[in-house]
Amino acid sequence: MLGIKTVSVIGANGTMGSTVSGLVAAFGDAKVFMICRRTEAAASAADVAANSVKAGAIRSRLIPATYDSLEDCVSRSDWTFETVAEDTSIKADIYKRIDKCLKAGSIISTGTSGFSINKLSENFSQKVKSSFFGTHFFNPPYNLTLCEMIRSEATDKKIFDAMKVYLKEVLYRDVIETTDTPAFLGNRIGFHFLNKALQYAVRYKKEGGIDYMDAILGPFTGRGMTPLATIDFVGLDVHKAIVDNVLANSCDYDHDAFILPEFVSGLIGQGKLGLKTKEGLFKTVTNDDKTNQYLVYDIASAGVRPVRKYNLPFASQMVAHLAVGNYDMAAQSLKEAKSKEALLCKHFLVSYITYSIVTAQAVAESVTDADIAMTTGFNWIGPVALLGALGGYEEVLAMAKEVDFDKNLVDRLESIDDKNKKAIRAPIDFRKSFRAKL
Amino acid sequence: MQKVYILGGSQTDFSRNWTKEGKNFFAMLKEIVDDGLKSVNLSGDDIVALNKENKIAAFVGNFVAEYYCNQSHLGALLTEVNPAFYGVPSARYEAACASGSVALDAAIAKIRTGDYDIVMVVGFEMMKTVGSVICGDYLGRAANYELEAKGVEFPFPKLFGKLADTILEKYKPEKKRFMAALASIANKNYANAKKNPNAQARRWFMSSEQANCRYTETNAKVGGLLALSDCSQITDGAAVVFLASKAYAADFAKKNGLKLKDIPYVKGWGHRVAPMTYAKKVEDAKDSKYVLPWTAKAIEDAYKRAGLTVDDMDFFETHDCFTSSEYAAVSAFGITEPGKEYEAIEAGVTQMTGHKPINPSGGLIGCGHPVGATGVRMMLDLYKQVAAKAGSYQIKGAKNGMMLNIGGSATTNFVFIVGK
Repeated sequence: MLGIKTVSVIGANGTMGSTVSGLVAAFGDAKVFMICRRTEAAASAADVAANSVKAGAIRSRLIPATYDSLEDCVSRSDWTFETVAEDTSIKADIYKRIDKCLKAGSIISTGTSGFSINKLSENFSQKVKSSFFGTHFFNPPYNLTLCEMIRSEATDKKIFDAMKVYLKEVLYRDVIETTDTPAFLGNRIGFHFLNKALQYAVRYKKEGGIDYMDAILGPFTGRGMTPLATIDFVGLDVHKAIVDNVLANSCDYDHDAFILPEFVSGLIGQGKLGLKTKEGLFKTVTNDDKTNQYLVYDIASAGVRPVRKYNLPFASQMVAHLAVGNYDMAAQSLKEAKSKEALLCKHFLVSYITYSIVTAQAVAESVTDADIAMTTGFNWIGPVALLGALGGYEEVLAMAKEVDFDKNLVDRLESIDDKNKKAIRAPIDFRKSFRAKL
Repeated sequence: MQKVYILGGSQTDFSRNWTKEGKNFFAMLKEIVDDGLKSVNLSGDDIVALNKENKIAAFVGNFVAEYYCNQSHLGALLTEVNPAFYGVPSARYEAACASGSVALDAAIAKIRTGDYDIVMVVGFEMMKTVGSVICGDYLGRAANYELEAKGVEFPFPKLFGKLADTILEKYKPEKKRFMAALASIANKNYANAKKNPNAQARRWFMSSEQANCRYTETNAKVGGLLALSDCSQITDGAAVVFLASKAYAADFAKKNGLKLKDIPYVKGWGHRVAPMTYAKKVEDAKDSKYVLPWTAKAIEDAYKRAGLTVDDMDFFETHDCFTSSEYAAVSAFGITEPGKEYEAIEAGVTQMTGHKPINPSGGLIGCGHPVGATGVRMMLDLYKQVAAKAGSYQIKGAKNGMMLNIGGSATTNFVFIVGK
């Protein structure tokens, strides 16, 4: 086991910086130098870190520091975790400094969700390159335990594998290894689904757009939060950064699904970034009598209106079955439903399964890694579990034939190789993933 | 008397919040019954066939679904969950947090008399249907409600805080050492839970430092000397076990490629009910060397019936609703003399690696405490350890294990010994 007793977190006042610091200080029983631009920010980040694992006792292990002491901290650390702004020149400057002072045998990893690990690796000398790789955590790490690990061509496999064991057994991460491709696996699948939901919100703006799509893809489809609400939660700017990166740097069979709808750029331009700015795709207004009004951006009128309750019998039926634990009947009722909204729902679920399998085949070690990614990174039902819940490969293929609107589902499903056809037969317990809620 | 064998069982993932999932108790019961039947290779048709001969029955342990779920008549509820149970004799048994054990007790008795060949014992509780304050009030029904719980916010932490005080008064251990021993219990059970894939707290953080850091923002006082780290949590969950007669078990063994001698069976039991009101317990115990003499008596009864002693026990599953109750159990089990519990704890005797491990599953603190399910979950864990099916939290070579399941403030005390 790697002896990681002292850690430097660079960019420790950010969300990931503070929460990963908490994780390492707590489960890793390590001393953590929390490096930020200013001392006050570092001190309050340390408080956030201790609270994120609900353990005040670890506070003494968290040492606030500034960039002035970067060399001092890094030279004493067994692991340096870089989690600064997603800006190549900022990262380059920091990497140059780390390169000079990283102690022999220690690790430098980045939490980047957007940049190529190989490209970032170029900032290091040959020696340090071998100890550099990606460790992509998810927010909040206390609840979402996914950590994607990505090697560069220069990464030493032994060090990388040792870190994998540490992340799994000491920090209790669910680790998957991916190739150095845009958005790796979890975000690649997740933001494909989310952006498609945005695109369909535009396509169906007359029917209601944003809240209409959220009603069709509610928790009863196997997710904790509806897709458009998730985008608001993540931040429209963060969503844009991710999908733009995938669009620019990859080209798979559903490349166009990553084109950001124009209205979103418009909202971003107005500073309406979602939950963090209290307005984005949704907005909550508190009335004088302390009651809340839930509003949504109406794409058709480019204005804001109250969120509607859509009457979707297919959804209500599924919820009724799920509430009493009749998962088979819920799947059967979806299969038999023929309304426009039911077909849209089926299209998205089949598209999710298809895209996940194809992408996992390309970037991960196995198809079931997609399930690990989506359950532990997004709190969504995994695609292989969903395939099982819908009755298996043949049933999903039949469903695909019914809803192949963009003519890219059936072909992809039919071309899954035998090895993966076997892998997707793995029985995965899907029951806790379906919420009996609209 | 007939030997009673344990053929298998299942439990739900105790980290789930079924209310957040939008599911009701039908969903929970359906899931646990489905999984239970799979665990012993029984189909609905098998149940119907057994019931034709009137040789199968069901026993349900649950504390207070009347409050949490607006539902009673819980034995009969199984007919709503699976039509295979039409005509199957069933009933619900209740003894607060020992409801699971009294359901097991009735089931075992019916196998012993030869009335049934195989029985299904399900324990469940769905507690997150209400907020924590109301939940605490519902749980107060396990105490003398009028005297000890009515108008008291979170009455049970206070009652077990009183147990900690009583232990200090009776044996006068050094307070710092005693509190450290309690923290060690909490830390151990959280650590053990990390290896249990169904434990509620398996992803939660705890350390010796944090457990000793009482009365702070992240470890608030809950009652007397106890803090949050000393408490088990509110849990949603269900557990099921199948018990059978020797003849049925032999047939089961043959059909499933097993040897009868490897199938765990119930070797002993004890059941004693102490004065309900805590103050009366203290008065009643004043001349006893034990702080909970009726708990100790139930354990003694179980050892006697089994013809075994503490030396024969390879592990224990005990009712650590609070660290003070596991503490008291250490001497009640016979691991130490009363008053010397901290010595065994300090020496690591009750750790996974010690020679008398307590709560390899994580116990109530680590695994969770869905009240009506706990007794059945304990029996399931006894079975798993003895049958070498405990996976990542297996105690190597476990041959005999004891469970202590208590209801209220150690009012109902139920003990089973399982072995092979």
